[in-house]
Amino acid sequence: MDAVTYPNDSVINFIQKNVIPLRIPFDAQPLSTDFNIKWTPTLIVLDFEGKERHRIVGFVSAKELIPSLLLGIGKSHFERDQFSEALERLDELLKNYPESSSAPEAVFLRGVCGYKSTHTPKPLKEAYEYLKAKYPESEWLKRAHPYQLL
Amino acid sequence: MENKILWETDMKRALAKARKEGKHIFLDFFNPG
Repeated sequence: MDAVTYPNDSVINFIQKNVIPLRIPFDAQPLSTDFNIKWTPTLIVLDFEGKERHRIVGFVSAKELIPSLLLGIGKSHFERDQFSEALERLDELLKNYPESSSAPEAVFLRGVCGYKSTHTPKPLKEAYEYLKAKYPESEWLKRAHPYQLL
Repeated sequence: MENKILWETDMKRALAKARKEGKHIFLDFFNPG
């Protein structure tokens, strides 16, 4: 991460603008135990109350880190029923990083956010159709499978 | 000025900053070697 990902200008700019970056040695107590750290790097998105919302274990390239952080922030908003904020982050991910490995999950979550905020099934079906067209090999298409029947 | 990530190293300080700025925290558990 130090050699490749963190020196990347886009990563630096995104992190400084969008999140509070915090670095802790993997064996620092009590945090290492609190977060059950077993391998490095372990990258976690926390909300401002310190609650974990998203986790990645292992190396992440510069190309994948920004969309992964956007997904984490989107998930955090979703889990707190802040659907418009979640949709804003997920749309940003899909617009700017459609080829990233985070994109299929973002499409799925976007559909669920749309459903929860409108109480209509249309966003779920649209998510399925989008996944089928753009990410046919994705695990998230399998998870969206029932939505084709809506 | 060198362009680099300005990491916080203390959880309490990071949480206070996150609340104040309305941001999430990106926490990296790393191996300092």
